[in-house]
Amino acid sequence: MAEFTAEVFQNEFLADGATDAHAVVSVSCRGAGRAGVSGDVAEVIIVDTSGSMDMPPNKIAAARRAAKVAINEIVDGAWFAVLSGHSVAQMVYPSHPGMARMTDVTRAEALQTVERLRSGGSTAIGSWISAATELFAQAPTARCHAILLTDGKIEGEPPEALPAALAAASGRFQCDCRGIGNDWVVDELRTIATELMGTVDIVAKPEELEADFEEMMRTSMSRGVPDARLRVWAPQGSELLFVRQVAPTVDDLTPRGVQTGPLVREFPTGAWTDEARDYHVAVRVPVAPVGNERLAARVEVVVNDEVFAKSLVKAVWSADADLTTRIDPAVAHYTGQAKLADAIQKGLAAKASGDDRTATVLLGEAAKLARESGNENTTRLLEKVVDVVDADTGTVRLKQQVDKSDEMALDTRSTKTTRIRREP
Amino acid sequence: MSDIGTDCPSCSGPIVIGDAFCESCGATLAEGAPDAGAAESPTAEMPVPTVPPATVPPATTVSPAPGALPACRQCGGDVLDDGFCSQCGQKAPTVRDHWQESPVDWVAGVCDRGIAHARNEDAMALAGLADRSLAVLVVCDGVTSAPDSDRAALAAARDACATLVGTPSAASQAAAAIISHWSAALVRACADGNAAAVGVARSLGNPSEPPSCTFVAAVVQGSVVTIGWCGDSRAYWLPDEGEAVQLMRDHSLGTEMMRDGMSRAQAEADPTSHTITRWLGADSFDPTPEVNSFQVASPGWLLVCSDGLWNYASLPVALQSLVHEHVAGGRTTPLAIADALVVWANEQGGHDNITAALARVQPSLR
Repeated sequence: MAEFTAEVFQNEFLADGATDAHAVVSVSCRGAGRAGVSGDVAEVIIVDTSGSMDMPPNKIAAARRAAKVAINEIVDGAWFAVLSGHSVAQMVYPSHPGMARMTDVTRAEALQTVERLRSGGSTAIGSWISAATELFAQAPTARCHAILLTDGKIEGEPPEALPAALAAASGRFQCDCRGIGNDWVVDELRTIATELMGTVDIVAKPEELEADFEEMMRTSMSRGVPDARLRVWAPQGSELLFVRQVAPTVDDLTPRGVQTGPLVREFPTGAWTDEARDYHVAVRVPVAPVGNERLAARVEVVVNDEVFAKSLVKAVWSADADLTTRIDPAVAHYTGQAKLADAIQKGLAAKASGDDRTATVLLGEAAKLARESGNENTTRLLEKVVDVVDADTGTVRLKQQVDKSDEMALDTRSTKTTRIRREP
Repeated sequence: MSDIGTDCPSCSGPIVIGDAFCESCGATLAEGAPDAGAAESPTAEMPVPTVPPATVPPATTVSPAPGALPACRQCGGDVLDDGFCSQCGQKAPTVRDHWQESPVDWVAGVCDRGIAHARNEDAMALAGLADRSLAVLVVCDGVTSAPDSDRAALAAARDACATLVGTPSAASQAAAAIISHWSAALVRACADGNAAAVGVARSLGNPSEPPSCTFVAAVVQGSVVTIGWCGDSRAYWLPDEGEAVQLMRDHSLGTEMMRDGMSRAQAEADPTSHTITRWLGADSFDPTPEVNSFQVASPGWLLVCSDGLWNYASLPVALQSLVHEHVAGGRTTPLAIADALVVWANEQGGHDNITAALARVQPSLR
């Protein structure tokens, strides 16, 4: 049985008249078990087989190998299917539209069939998502997960196809997205991954794809908790400003909140393995007189309507400036990480639109934030796109020659955060 | 004193005397709770001052129905088991934050954190005999500038009260004999209260700023009231008819200013007026109480209180009319009036901890 813990990091002291309570709630899961142990699991692998996957041909070859290692990771008894995505989505395995139970026999058949994947046609990701949604509908009680691989931008379908497909898929399955090469669009895959609560990343070199697929599927198989929700109570007259996952990646959950009671909203967080995730919760509460202590939020981890962990975000009004001016290190750190992600994404967008001045300012700010917070991975990625003149002041120069995949890697991984270094 | 001495005031679990926190529920514990010896003293028939009750008392004197969730003092919503209101989020007071005592129907008090302070550093200990022959009211106000003064105040109040409870009443009914008897007892009680406060400091490893508190105790025997005090917690006589009087003079810079000719209003407005010149605790220069007495001639109320109350009504006549208003409004028991005074002080801002303890003294009934 999985165990959750939730720990709050905050400075609960508010100055006279202050209203905003900020806290980082650190949620850890232990004993998640494995997928399929409690309830079914269903996996769909979607491989882009558009014509460009042959240019160069090592992409489609890498995709075949990656699909095979992923198939090998799927546990016996799980539902699974492989889709080939081009102008439409086509069944690869099983051959009929539906899902197969993983056995020695089906595994061998699937591995053979994947070997015959060929490329041709355009990229219509919306139709691929819709096809996956239909497949998952045949396993209504299963915890559903998909891997989507593409190398290009959407061009084989009308622009409204993807949003419509995502609306139908949202909440039905989680989807990890991977872009191979540098002709795909970061925003498109990020939109899919965000809406379908999955990860997004670039695989710049085809030979890295196998290890990545193996890791993704292994992670999915270790997610023994199918769906956990954050249940957030905030007092009467308050406003829940945001609920944001801040580690391991920045992901704003606020729009996904569902009102489940007069003072309660619930936020789906997807499936869990043994892992820790941090959430930044901000609540605007009605002012109370100095000396009052109130609860600003009750944050619970809920699985199947059962509370697995609970934490309290407090507000204590004080006249002592020594207490009220302190900012909790975790809140400060993750506020910085969210700003960092925002500065990178907006900076790269400005650069793409030719606004070098704005891009320089924003990417400079990003360099400063990355340095301050010790986010070395992001610093390294930034240094491939800008020359850092002085990280302390955020002074940078845009590089004249930038490898496009470096820029895409920076954009894609902008939401990856470093966890706050805590006292042992 | 045995190791396992008593029950936790919050959860009734067993506690080890000297522990700072309850092992079961984590409630902060006070030092110096009266031990079993006090109850077996020669006056065992006298109720030993009660520890704060086991349940969190609500603001009103009406107890919630058994099994029902306690109501929030702020908005009336249900208080959940995590101690916060399910509607407005207000933290429900702990027993140490707010409690009431009424050992007999003519003696009662309410001790409250107020609004502005994070902790309740006031404390009280009350006792009385049902036949109205004797009452003991002790109030101590912890000095906020020293940490853990809440513990020193509670320890001092309880030990001083226990000493007074353990003292047999004066054998003679002559006023002079009663006064001299209780004056001596009050000096002993104050010394024991001081020892309790010093004991808290010792248990904390003798901090450089030792916890300390004021002290005021009143003993009513028949129609004679004897008072002993250190600091600026006060005792007032508020008769139903006739002039109200303050029964003591603060040991404070404010009093010294008034003695030097400053008006009460001027002195009390001075920021240093609350600086006390006598207190209990390890760093006290002179923990001996000043003693005074008063002979009651007509029915009225003995009020013993902390500055959290009298800050808003310093003049005896002001407190007298407040009490008369509440009596006219139908609050005729000492508990109801004490509760109303605390609510009123909170309405004035609750800038300090508030303690109001009252005894109804009616010489004609003796």
